[in-house]
Amino acid sequence: MEEPTSRFDEDSTLRSRLEADPEPALRWAAVMAALALVQIGSLLGGLLSILDAAVVGVTAIFDVLFGLVGLTGASAAVVDVQSALSGAVTTARDAAEGLPTLLSRETIPNQGHLASADGPWVDTFLGLEPALAWAVRVLLIVGYSLFTFYWLFRGWLVFRAHYRQADWTPTDDMIDRLRDHRWGQFGIFVLALFLIMALFGPALGPTTVSQNIVSPYSHEVTYFNADAGAVETVAAGDANFNSKSKGAGDQNVGPMTYDNFNRFHPFGTLPNGRDLFTFMMGGARITLIVAGLAIGLSALIAGGLAMVSAFYGGNIDLTLLTTADGIVSVPRLLLLIMISAIFANHWLAGVLDGGFLLALIFAFTGWPFLWRAVRGPALQVAQEEWVDAAESFGQPPRTIMRKHMFPYITGYLLVYASMSTGGIIVGLAALSFLGNGLGITPPTPAWGRAVSLGQSYVSGPSWHISFIPGAMIVVLVTGLNALGDGIRDAIDPESAGGDDDEAAAGGGA
Amino acid sequence: MSQATQRHDDTDEETLIEVRNLEKYYGDDGMFSPPPVKAVDGVDLDIKRGETFGLVGESGSGKSTLGRTLLRLEQATSGTVSFDGTDITTLEGSDLKRWRRNAQIVFQDPESSLNDRMTVGEIVREPLDAHDKGTERERRKRVMDLLSRVGLREEHYYRYPHQFSGGQRQRVGIARALALEPEFVVLDEPVSALDVSVQAKIITLLEDLQEEFDLTYLFIAHDLSVVRHICDRVAVMYLGKIMEVGETEELYEDPVNPYTKSLLSAIPRPDPTDESERTTLPGTPPSPRDPPQGCQFSTRCPAKIRPEGFEEVSEETWDAIERFREIVRERTRVELGTVDRVKRRAGLFSKYDDIDEAVKDLFDGVERPPVVDDHLTYAVEQVKAGHPQDARERLHEAFGSVCDRERPAHHQVGDRGRESYCHRHREEYDDVESAIRR
Amino acid sequence: MSEPVLSVSNLRTVFHTDRETIRAVDGVSFDVGRGETVGIVGESGSGKSVTARSIMGLVESPGEILPGSSIRFNGQELTEFDDAQYREIRGSGIGMVFQDPQKSLNPVYTVGNQIIEALEENQDLTGEEAREEAIDLLEAVAIPDAPRRLDEYPHEFSGGMRQRAMIAMMLACDPEFLICDEPTTALDVTIEAQILELLQELQEERGLSILFITHDMGVIAEIADRVNVMYAGEIVETAPVEELFASPTHPYTEGLLDAIPGRQDGSEQLRTIEGDVPTANEAASHCRFAPRCEHAFDACEQAHPQHVEVGPEHTAACLLYPGEKSRSERVEHHRAQAETGGDHE
Repeated sequence: MEEPTSRFDEDSTLRSRLEADPEPALRWAAVMAALALVQIGSLLGGLLSILDAAVVGVTAIFDVLFGLVGLTGASAAVVDVQSALSGAVTTARDAAEGLPTLLSRETIPNQGHLASADGPWVDTFLGLEPALAWAVRVLLIVGYSLFTFYWLFRGWLVFRAHYRQADWTPTDDMIDRLRDHRWGQFGIFVLALFLIMALFGPALGPTTVSQNIVSPYSHEVTYFNADAGAVETVAAGDANFNSKSKGAGDQNVGPMTYDNFNRFHPFGTLPNGRDLFTFMMGGARITLIVAGLAIGLSALIAGGLAMVSAFYGGNIDLTLLTTADGIVSVPRLLLLIMISAIFANHWLAGVLDGGFLLALIFAFTGWPFLWRAVRGPALQVAQEEWVDAAESFGQPPRTIMRKHMFPYITGYLLVYASMSTGGIIVGLAALSFLGNGLGITPPTPAWGRAVSLGQSYVSGPSWHISFIPGAMIVVLVTGLNALGDGIRDAIDPESAGGDDDEAAAGGGA
Repeated sequence: MSQATQRHDDTDEETLIEVRNLEKYYGDDGMFSPPPVKAVDGVDLDIKRGETFGLVGESGSGKSTLGRTLLRLEQATSGTVSFDGTDITTLEGSDLKRWRRNAQIVFQDPESSLNDRMTVGEIVREPLDAHDKGTERERRKRVMDLLSRVGLREEHYYRYPHQFSGGQRQRVGIARALALEPEFVVLDEPVSALDVSVQAKIITLLEDLQEEFDLTYLFIAHDLSVVRHICDRVAVMYLGKIMEVGETEELYEDPVNPYTKSLLSAIPRPDPTDESERTTLPGTPPSPRDPPQGCQFSTRCPAKIRPEGFEEVSEETWDAIERFREIVRERTRVELGTVDRVKRRAGLFSKYDDIDEAVKDLFDGVERPPVVDDHLTYAVEQVKAGHPQDARERLHEAFGSVCDRERPAHHQVGDRGRESYCHRHREEYDDVESAIRR
Repeated sequence: MSEPVLSVSNLRTVFHTDRETIRAVDGVSFDVGRGETVGIVGESGSGKSVTARSIMGLVESPGEILPGSSIRFNGQELTEFDDAQYREIRGSGIGMVFQDPQKSLNPVYTVGNQIIEALEENQDLTGEEAREEAIDLLEAVAIPDAPRRLDEYPHEFSGGMRQRAMIAMMLACDPEFLICDEPTTALDVTIEAQILELLQELQEERGLSILFITHDMGVIAEIADRVNVMYAGEIVETAPVEELFASPTHPYTEGLLDAIPGRQDGSEQLRTIEGDVPTANEAASHCRFAPRCEHAFDACEQAHPQHVEVGPEHTAACLLYPGEKSRSERVEHHRAQAETGGDHE
């Protein structure tokens, strides 16, 4: 047999292997460092935001726990700790965001105005018109991000080809199958696009959420007033007031047009004159954070409980089954509305503009679906003899579940999680659509609210208000389903309908 | 093999494992649950240090359950298993974990026994990790050592089970079982899933390892010729009970239990010129939920004792009667659908109560002497009337012998620890051989 | 011997994968005479099951029977058949019994339903008549209490009974030729003995011809009249069963027989064959067993052995034969044979 023995050395560590052949790793790292450096400011800022969210999350859990056991003093202390830590993190974040960043709105500005009726444009990137400047920035950001994602994946390929001790692992086959799976790749692409929207939201929009949506009267817009024939300055709020899309011909700013204040609106404006594109970017961030948190939590609960059910079976399984059925039998939307109402004035409702509470509710109502889906695979792997083998040399149940069962159900968890995320996103949009204190607190953007705002103008010239957010939700949900399909076919090629039994009968010894 | 005999002589008396009256029932936990499956139904056996003890039987005989119960992979329903003097059925917590080092298992299915998301090295190392044996480096060295002992190479450490053939995977399983230096290894059909030529290699490996590490094996198999090759002593199981136990050669050369005899004669021999008479057993083993009240083997036994008063009935007729009893027995177990149950209640004729065809099939051209005819006619009527239970009882009363009524005892045969579970060994009955010949 | 029922010659079945073409069956030829039982033995990966599937027309993409292969059944060339013709022949001429009866019986219909359906399709029996015939068939395969069993579902049958039911279903098509692909491998010995006995009885009663495929030398000794030993897609030895067991000539057959525990008396060390069955992925220009063969010499890597007469109706494909010639003469002999007839391509 031909054995690639060269890479084998019983005591080699990753470090020694890196030292033995540093070139591929260095090449990869150089590009990665360059990619990180140009974005250092927003990178650090992003990391600190995540830290902030983590602080809030952890303290929230403590608070809820203390609340449950009735330690009001302790929960107040926790709130204090939380605000102090958040404050510190926020200061650091502001500092980080002060660092230069290549793909920021400051480097490639698009907000400018005409100097006279025939131009030229002032204050924009290279004097381009705002639409072009904006397009350049968007293309650069999307290109940069996609390339970075690819480069990270490339890093794994470099590791696999040069530094890993095993020359083949089962994961390789899955990745290779995914590389041939166009539909799954479409899902990855869509998810990547929306992640980019969430990450780079502030830089992608033609304006920002705070300037245009949250506090428009604290910001000013400079523009060339055609009537007066002079450059004037007006509060952004007043500009919004005169750029409404209300369906009538004179009150409509459609997609890819300028309003009367020299502002470019890629998706047009909302009925209240705000920029829809900026609104959508802001919404993407909150939507993905809430959906991600919710699905992550439910997957964790569902996976853990599925393994417990499968490993112990019997009465424990039965209890879980009843509990899950109980939760499922309550209509989810109703439960969401009720819990939102109860917690309306609780400080939890303030975190992430109400999104955190929503995520918790979605997680605790959503896990039974995931649990049911992965219980089958969990039962199957619990039957495998390697579980018995582990038991026979005295491995404790916790370790057996982690080492011998979990790796088998993660694939299924991913599949069902990506497919149920669609449901959460739609649910979230539905709540915001209903409004009345449900969903994300205004004025923080939420997709559902955009759909709701535009619903009376659907059949007129302002069709874009409802249509574009609706279409984006559809694309994202389809993408997530495609991703789920892709992962399923990657982990379980049999289900795709391929049958290699016969080849195996012919070839395998 | 000369070592085999030698091994006997110096280890003859020391018992490593002593099993007494071991029972393992499944599904016995609810008030409304059906009668339990008696997978292991009162087993006694001794396994001596250093020997290879074979356990053979058909599927459903309880041999695997017995092996798993000895390792505490199943909790015994009752009875004791003492390992080197300690009763292990009651061990808990850290005592149990410490004891587990002494007893390991090699599984049948090389596909399912190795976690294929772990490298071979990780798999073999896991027992060492679980028991915190030595440093990281020492463990790795030990794994390398084990891999080469079982005939794999060190560079296989970072391979995944997928990259191996069935035989090689089985070697990995063996290396894992040996990692903690156990004294006792249960081999649960370790070669059944392999091709003959691979089988031979694994058997040879197991023999070598036994010698090297002074192992005691419990070798569970349904392949009788493999057992004959590797085992010092053999126990034959049927329906949760040990039918015969004894030294391998002696048992194979001269089986005394009717079940062992039939089982051995059923093995297809790789010799086309072999013309020896074979005893083909009729039917299938009864359900372990509802085992016969007497001897477990009584429903299929070719040497079953006839009750008094029927000596004159021809062999052919008697055979038909036994088959008829089997059919009625099956009938009592059938779970009727609602429609048929209602029909039966209402006194209507359900197709489940039709038995004429079966009677015709069995008794056509067979003489029915008056001593049996009454009972048969009554039974047929009862079945048609929807009371198969009554028919079964009547047949049991009329044609049941000691084999149907009483559990046999384990009789000593010869002076080398041979035991057989059969009424025929009692003095008042003819011996098995002449009964089968008849 | 009269005209054989089945005559396979130079059968080559390949499977195309992304990387290579696997020659699962590579130039197999044999005949099955009327009323005869012909056995094929081999380890997993030898191509014995693919041979059976090729005859039954069950080879699906990515598998392909290469042109030049011939399967003649009662004078008809099966390789030229389309799906409809194959269905016809499967319904009435050739029956097949598989290893796992669980998979071949449909769990949602009663056993009776499935047998009656086969009867309706192939013998134009309907209603009560078909039911009667189904009962007769179940009785013919020795299932006790047949009328009741007819209304039971496959899961209510034990493994052995299911295999009997499968055989009954196949008898419903009244075939004259039966392919048994490891029909007893999943069964216990006592049940295996019953099924083998049943097959032999049926063969006598109905004059069936049987192609019996197994890995178990014991089973083959019991049931077959002639035996073909397959290795890596090729038949390496063929002989009447007594002859084969009394004087195996191919080193692979010898090794296979020596590896069976209990063939030798006492408990001497088992002989093993080193290495694994190779995957045949290119045309054979050498002996595929050579890497594992203890008698191999240089020429084994260069010349493809042809079948040579080594006894009455007994041929083996090995460069050690014909034994009376010198080594170089033998190699020449095989080379010459290969050029004139054996290998196409």
